[in-house]
Amino acid sequence: MNIDSLKLKKISALWIIVILVLFIASIVLGILMRLNQGKVIEQSPLTFYTNMTTHGLTMIGIWFAAGMVAVNYLLQRYVKTSYGVNLFAFILTVIGVVMLWVTTYAGKFSTGWTFLYPLPFRDLGSESWSTPLFLISLTILGVGWLVWSVSLMAQIFKKYTLAQAFAWQHFKSNPTVETPPFILITTVTLVGVIASLIAAVIVIVLYFAEYFSHGDFVNDALLMKNLIYFFGHTIANEMLYLGLAVIYEIFGEVSDRPKWKMTWYISLAWNCAMVFILTAFFHHLYMDFVQPQALQIVGQLASYLASIPSAAVTVFSIVAAVYGVKVRWSIVNLLFFLGVAGWVIGGLGAVIDATISNNIMLHNTLWVPAHFHTYNAMGNVLFSIGFFYWFSTQYVDKLVLSKLTKYTLTLLIVGGIGFLMAFYVAGANSIPRRYSTYPVELTSGPYLAKVGALFATIYLIAILIFFYNIAKRCFVILSASSR
Amino acid sequence: MQQHSIMLFFMLLVGIGTIFFVSIFMSSLKADNDSTGVKNLLKKRFWFTLILIVVLGIFAAATLPKSPYFTYANETPSTVIHVGTMQFSFFLSTKPIDPKSPSGETIEIPHDQLVEFRVTSFDVNHGFAVYDPSMRLITQVQAMPGYVNNLRYKFTEPGEYHIFCLEFCGTGHPVMQTTFKVI
Amino acid sequence: MFRYFVCFFALTCFSFLGYANDNHSDFREEQNLYGKIYNAPLGIVGNNKVSSVEELYNQKPLIIALVFTRCYGICNPFLLQLSENIKHLQSNSDFNILVISFDPRDNLQDMTNLSKQYGLENNLQWNFAITDSIDAFINSIGFIPKWDSVIKQFDHDALLVGVNEKGLITKNLLGIRIVEDVHKMISSINNVFTPSYRLPTKSNIFSCFNYDPKTQTNRPGLGLLFVALPAIITFLIVTIIVIKSKRTVS
Repeated sequence: MNIDSLKLKKISALWIIVILVLFIASIVLGILMRLNQGKVIEQSPLTFYTNMTTHGLTMIGIWFAAGMVAVNYLLQRYVKTSYGVNLFAFILTVIGVVMLWVTTYAGKFSTGWTFLYPLPFRDLGSESWSTPLFLISLTILGVGWLVWSVSLMAQIFKKYTLAQAFAWQHFKSNPTVETPPFILITTVTLVGVIASLIAAVIVIVLYFAEYFSHGDFVNDALLMKNLIYFFGHTIANEMLYLGLAVIYEIFGEVSDRPKWKMTWYISLAWNCAMVFILTAFFHHLYMDFVQPQALQIVGQLASYLASIPSAAVTVFSIVAAVYGVKVRWSIVNLLFFLGVAGWVIGGLGAVIDATISNNIMLHNTLWVPAHFHTYNAMGNVLFSIGFFYWFSTQYVDKLVLSKLTKYTLTLLIVGGIGFLMAFYVAGANSIPRRYSTYPVELTSGPYLAKVGALFATIYLIAILIFFYNIAKRCFVILSASSR
Repeated sequence: MQQHSIMLFFMLLVGIGTIFFVSIFMSSLKADNDSTGVKNLLKKRFWFTLILIVVLGIFAAATLPKSPYFTYANETPSTVIHVGTMQFSFFLSTKPIDPKSPSGETIEIPHDQLVEFRVTSFDVNHGFAVYDPSMRLITQVQAMPGYVNNLRYKFTEPGEYHIFCLEFCGTGHPVMQTTFKVI
Repeated sequence: MFRYFVCFFALTCFSFLGYANDNHSDFREEQNLYGKIYNAPLGIVGNNKVSSVEELYNQKPLIIALVFTRCYGICNPFLLQLSENIKHLQSNSDFNILVISFDPRDNLQDMTNLSKQYGLENNLQWNFAITDSIDAFINSIGFIPKWDSVIKQFDHDALLVGVNEKGLITKNLLGIRIVEDVHKMISSINNVFTPSYRLPTKSNIFSCFNYDPKTQTNRPGLGLLFVALPAIITFLIVTIIVIKSKRTVS
């Protein structure tokens, strides 16, 4: 085994352990929040909102990182990636996350992960140093991830031309060079990732400008909201695409089926997705009537259009790979398959909410966390855990579908559906999101919160079993020597 | 009751999706080594995509005109309610609200008359969400500092309506609420 | 890193520019909206056919300016700016203007002189008028001039009131205003619903959209550039990477 690939394997194993530990901690925070809403435990609003802020920031951070780790690892099959940059991103991510937890728990920073302007400047109950520290920690994370994304992209373009990386040659008949779907999706996704991180950089600069001007410079709330959702919405979607890139690459080989081929429609779909996803974020501003109507309509149309390439291409690819053919099912491709189903169902909830005339009934109710938890907790997380399993087992032991695995998957599905249904029903009952406790008039809120907490605990048990299985193998990889 | 139809519609879609994925999964369990899988995939993919585009197109054409920016646009409201928001209270008044010393008043709105809420914020982003007497969210708009959003609505049912903040605005977010009466 | 410096530099410049952009608006502009204006009997300079406010707004939506002829203060610059603004409108046929005196001492001759001062005595769009029920009229608007007996002047706001063809007040403008604001008033009295408007702040320079009165829509502002900036910078990064890459395989 060569030293480069061992180094990459070790850093990936380290990432995976850290990501899963933070994931479990964040699930616990989520359950605590639901228990508080269900009046089972009693936390101060400040504690609730620091938990909420930590939960959101950590989840976004780790699942973005998880996608990047997987893509970086698999990219090594095609191009040479930089170990140094991967390590640099790891160190900066760890520093950034530690600083974030310090701002939220020591500094009581509690603006939610969207840190909507100007809330960080009027965050009651928090320490005055927490806002600058928060911005610095975001800067550190942003720099680490931006360098990582740009470095991966630079490596791709060292091997592939612009047209090849975006698979444009597949629009012509009989292309001479085939772009692997994995390369296309990775390139398209990295473009979106870089755009969203730059949006974050601009937001941070504007925040700092106001912070250091001591009131002389005041930002425009509408501009800040647009930029924050450009960043937030885009990165949350791109991390799903990172997971899909992994599925395109390894679903075939773990299922004992041919590798997914590039075709003109896959190329077209992903090139379209790259464009649509950058304007879909306008759907976060439907209830801001000040946003010009043209952009509101663009928001609805782009949200609809973004669903077409993914549904027509990725879902069909899964169908083609599975329908009516013998598949060697293992935990890895089962998680992938389940994840695609969760992603599609979450997407249906999202399209309903992205319709302006529905949004007026659903905006900022629990319908919103309902749908994004569907495609994260039952979609993206499963893509990544599937990859973690594949990664950790490939040299250690064989993939088999044991009884325990089946039970664990059942726990995961039951827990996931239960805790998501509690969200959806609450959303349809007009229960607002981000309420530490519910006003007495909203009677179904606390009851549904308890149901949610119960099922989330079942989900957590499944995740703990996965963690044990994956982490023990990752420790083996970490302790392996190059000899 | 719009939320309940949305929920039903969603559950219908989820049901179809679940049957779809489960049947695909089951078909692979039944398959043997000679099975060839889906035939004419490109053709099926084409029809699926076309149907999806048509359905979404119809959906967009049907829903976009119902967007709140276009409803009641051709009528002149009979009353204006000025809404000022700040951490963590609402001020509702028939008179303009002075941001330096905001104050509100008890509001009674006649039913079946067009009312215009002029909603702004004096500090951070807030939400202005109107719940009917059965605690169902019927309409909402954001309150953004530096901007005034005009929300028009015609209340048909008399009773006590609640207003909740639906944009996270700090630790007091869940207690930020007020009421008004429709007579 | 270089990008940070560029951004900071740009921000510093803009924040200074921002100071110059401070204009005046007032929450009192929101007074008495959609209230009915009092139907005062009118004596109009050079017009005997119309004798009340209602007859006037029934013809066309109305912009009302409240002045008095003995004013040493704001009335003159206010009317001058209004007449200049109206001159510069591209289409100014869908409304009339009523300049009404709130000083009981003013008579028709005073108003005739005032109209001549601006060369508007023969302009049919402009109506210079007096009324004998001025108190009821200004009460329906919420306009309260205060008599200062020392300087023998009214202490008052420069107020424009927009009234639609049903006689309902749809918009007020306080102070001397630019042509864009007058345009907003004209759309409002012609019953165009604007779902929102912005309040003046120091940072207008950064707004994503500015209202364009000519097309009655929003046109892109500097802030929009910032919304598009991530995509533009990403495009540049990709371009630079592609150009700089020395490909091993073509």
